[in-house]
Amino acid sequence: MAAVTLSEVRKSYGGLEVVHGIDLEVKSGEFLVLVGPSGCGKSTLLRMIAGLEEITDGTIAIGERIVNDVPASQRNLSMVFQSYALYPHMSVRKNLAFGLTNLRMPRPEIERRVAEAAKILQIGELLERKPRQLSGGQKQRVAIGRAIVREPQLFLFDEPLSNLDAELRVQMRVELANLYNRLGTTMIYVTHDQVEAMTMATRIAVLSKGNIEQVGTPYELYNFPRNRFVATFIGSPKMNILEANAMGGAATVADFGTLPVVVPDGPISVGIRPEQVLIGRDGDLVAEGKVTLVEYLGSEIFVHLRLASGRDMLAKAANTAQHKIGDEVSVALRRESLHTFDANGLTAPRATTTA
Amino acid sequence: MADTTLVGAAPTHPTTAQIAAAIREERARRGKRAALLKHIFLIITSLVMIYPLIWMLASSLKPDNQIFGNLGLWPSELRWENYTAGWNAMAVSFTRFFLNSTFVTVLSVIGNVISCSFAAYAFARLEFSGKNIWFALMMMTLMIPYHVVLIPQYILFLKAGWVDSYLPLIVPRFLAGDAFFIFLMVQFFRQLPRDLDEAAMIDGCNPFKIYWAIILPLSVPAMATAAIFSFIWTWEDFLGPLVYLNDMRDYTVPLALRSFIAQDSVSAYGQLFAMSVLSIVPIVIFFIIFQRLIIRGIAMSGLK
Amino acid sequence: MNKFIRRNLAGYTFLLPWLIGFFALAVGPIVSSLYLSFTDYDAVAAPSWIGLENYEFMVKDRRFWKALSVTFSFVVISVPAKLVFALAVAMILDRGVRAIGWYRALFYLPSILGGSIAVAVLWRQLFENDGLVNTLLGVVGVDGPNWLSDPRYSLTTLIVLAVWQFGSPMLIFLAGLRAIPQELYEAAEIDAAGKFRRFFAITLPLLAPVIFFNLVLQMIEAFKSFSGAFVISGGKGAPLDSLLFFTVYLYNEAFSYFRMGYASALAWVLLLIIAVFTAVAFWTSKYWVHYENERS
Ligand SMILES: Nc1ncnc2c1ncn2[C@@H]1O[C@H](COP(=O)(O)OP(=O)(O)O)[C@@H](O)[C@H]1O
Ligand SMILES: [Mg+2]
Repeated sequence: MAAVTLSEVRKSYGGLEVVHGIDLEVKSGEFLVLVGPSGCGKSTLLRMIAGLEEITDGTIAIGERIVNDVPASQRNLSMVFQSYALYPHMSVRKNLAFGLTNLRMPRPEIERRVAEAAKILQIGELLERKPRQLSGGQKQRVAIGRAIVREPQLFLFDEPLSNLDAELRVQMRVELANLYNRLGTTMIYVTHDQVEAMTMATRIAVLSKGNIEQVGTPYELYNFPRNRFVATFIGSPKMNILEANAMGGAATVADFGTLPVVVPDGPISVGIRPEQVLIGRDGDLVAEGKVTLVEYLGSEIFVHLRLASGRDMLAKAANTAQHKIGDEVSVALRRESLHTFDANGLTAPRATTTA
Repeated sequence: MADTTLVGAAPTHPTTAQIAAAIREERARRGKRAALLKHIFLIITSLVMIYPLIWMLASSLKPDNQIFGNLGLWPSELRWENYTAGWNAMAVSFTRFFLNSTFVTVLSVIGNVISCSFAAYAFARLEFSGKNIWFALMMMTLMIPYHVVLIPQYILFLKAGWVDSYLPLIVPRFLAGDAFFIFLMVQFFRQLPRDLDEAAMIDGCNPFKIYWAIILPLSVPAMATAAIFSFIWTWEDFLGPLVYLNDMRDYTVPLALRSFIAQDSVSAYGQLFAMSVLSIVPIVIFFIIFQRLIIRGIAMSGLK
Repeated sequence: MNKFIRRNLAGYTFLLPWLIGFFALAVGPIVSSLYLSFTDYDAVAAPSWIGLENYEFMVKDRRFWKALSVTFSFVVISVPAKLVFALAVAMILDRGVRAIGWYRALFYLPSILGGSIAVAVLWRQLFENDGLVNTLLGVVGVDGPNWLSDPRYSLTTLIVLAVWQFGSPMLIFLAGLRAIPQELYEAAEIDAAGKFRRFFAITLPLLAPVIFFNLVLQMIEAFKSFSGAFVISGGKGAPLDSLLFFTVYLYNEAFSYFRMGYASALAWVLLLIIAVFTAVAFWTSKYWVHYENERS
């Protein structure tokens, strides 16, 4: 188990910088998820930690050791790839043992570890098969098995579940979480799927365009996003954003009226999560709208609304609600559930409510 | 230009699908007759192509006076003596020539496969400065005729005292002398997923171990293709032995065959053909066994 | 510095055998061959510098011009003939022929054997005065010429030998044809394009890169061809130098007469000719070769 410390880490391809001075501290024993839209530099960052990609600038330390110049094989870490990257010409057993043989570990110890990993991942009866004889889920297990037999101080995952179908993905998510609880090893996990991030992480780092937008627990990110990017990226369905105008400590939100804010004058935006959009008049701000679409999900319903001004909002309602397309409804927002973002998209402090 | 307008126009045509179906039907009807014509053409062509080879085989079993002016393939009597006599017709027996050829060929194949796969691995999988320039230069050597480097190489090997030995034929093969094979392997290596190298790196492999434990085992078809071509070309090679080997006891099979004609251009045609047939037997056997690999290799590399 | 070495160590280690070969067996020889071409050298005594004399001699050397013209004739006739034949057969084989594997293998066999001395020997006998070819011609009532001793016909034998080995360009054409989507032909057929129109409007343009590739390759191969001409012409380019391929002339100058200086000059001329032909092919290719993923 080891902490990982990144300071001012940069990466350029040719002249183009794709990772811009990242500072990040991954605590020992933590499950840290790097999440962000595709192309934002997550894999690049992870591969720099792994030692598969050279660091253009800055330092990376694993534990106490600065590893900038340490080859991947000597960083004492394991990595699970999106494509699984199982060696096609080796049996599952050989795949698992390969890294250990390279370490010249004694045979009985290798066998013990392989057997143990096979037990944990329930791949015992697959050991003599070749990768091409495995299903996607089985390949995934073997890939994870190959990572855990090393008993490394750090696990790296690069979108390991994205090649699986939806059902398997949910199942593997649970298994990975269990595995983490069992091993307690530091894990860094890359995904573009915020649901994966929210469900598995002890902490999440949100990346965008080669910068870290925010680092925090799932709770912090969901409830206290630092900026509009994080607010809209985390949470599904997405947070509603209403453009507004601030003037002298009050913001005018079309359809809804005004509310007190603590931002400089100018164009701002106000965000509200769909589950906090209330249908009815029971709120601090109320607007009139029309139902344009109802999606029934079983446990809840998504109600798509169009306000008088023509802008769309999404509300999440209890599965007992009876809304139909075309219904005229009132939409209510509570002031304490609003997020206010200034002209630069940064979250503004809440106005101390009085009214 | 014309083709793009054709392509562009088709999807907007309202009944494309129906017409296409009708065309397929019509095609099926016409298909049978066309297929027959095709086969007749192909069979005749194959016969013409293969006839000389069969004629050579037949002639190798005929008495000398039946070879010329005679279209028939079946000899009136099978002259197996052509083979036994031809085998020992020269001052040195063909046993020696075949052993020589085998020696040169086996070592050349080994050298080629090892050294070319080394270079190909560097070009396809490793990063180093100047890679693209070296690669371009390597591709340019494909163009250089052997005749251009032959004289200086000859002088070099003469000074090294290597003339009249097999070294000038074998040593260059260990120096990745044939860019064709490098190119073929580069093409193949590039298809293998990069993730494998990276997973192996994390599993504690250095580049040598990755080459040996991952890339090579996954490239058996490419290695085999290279080995087969290398075998065939070395076995057939004429100019190299012609220049470097002067003592008949060192001759390879092609050189021996050519002395066969030179030494008596008159009579022993049956024996000459018998030895010619034997000289290509290894190639034909290889071709029959490995033709899939050979044909795929040509299509893959697009060369030769 | 340390970082630089580490980054390059593995790559250059693997490249080392090739690098040694490249300098010792390609670059070195090409350069020294240029030097030797300005000398008089018999491979025994030290080379003596004679400036441009070899080249001056070459201009007046009748056999040099003869060798050039023989080689050019061979290239200019055999390469297009071979390619046309290869393309025709590939198109017949392309779609839905049963036993295609068989034909492919049969047609490729001569390419594999073509370079062998056995085939050269065979060819010589086929075209003997009373050889198989003339016997066959006799059957249809033609009195065949004396192929091997009549300088007007001798080159034909080698051209036939070259075309006989159409197998490898055929395989490459086949791969190229496979890559053309069938829908294009259906679309064209719907637009009532006839067979010829389809060939010229679809097959030919889409195949242009492959044709170009085959052309360059076969040209280089044809310039380099040696053993067939050597054996069939009795090693000297006979009869009457009508089979004096450039490579045969070069070989004889170097290894029969040990005029290494002059032969080096010939080698350089050959290198330049091939370079020029390749360059011209590449240069003209932009007018007739359009690659699929190219934006215009
Ligand atoms: N080898 C490379 N050469 C050039 N650009 C690259 C390379 N690898 C990644 N990039 C660029 O770096 C950016 C980040 O890529 P990546 O880390 O793979 O994104 P993510 O994993 O977040 O989807 C992308 O814009 C990508 O185009
Ligand atoms: Mg990625």
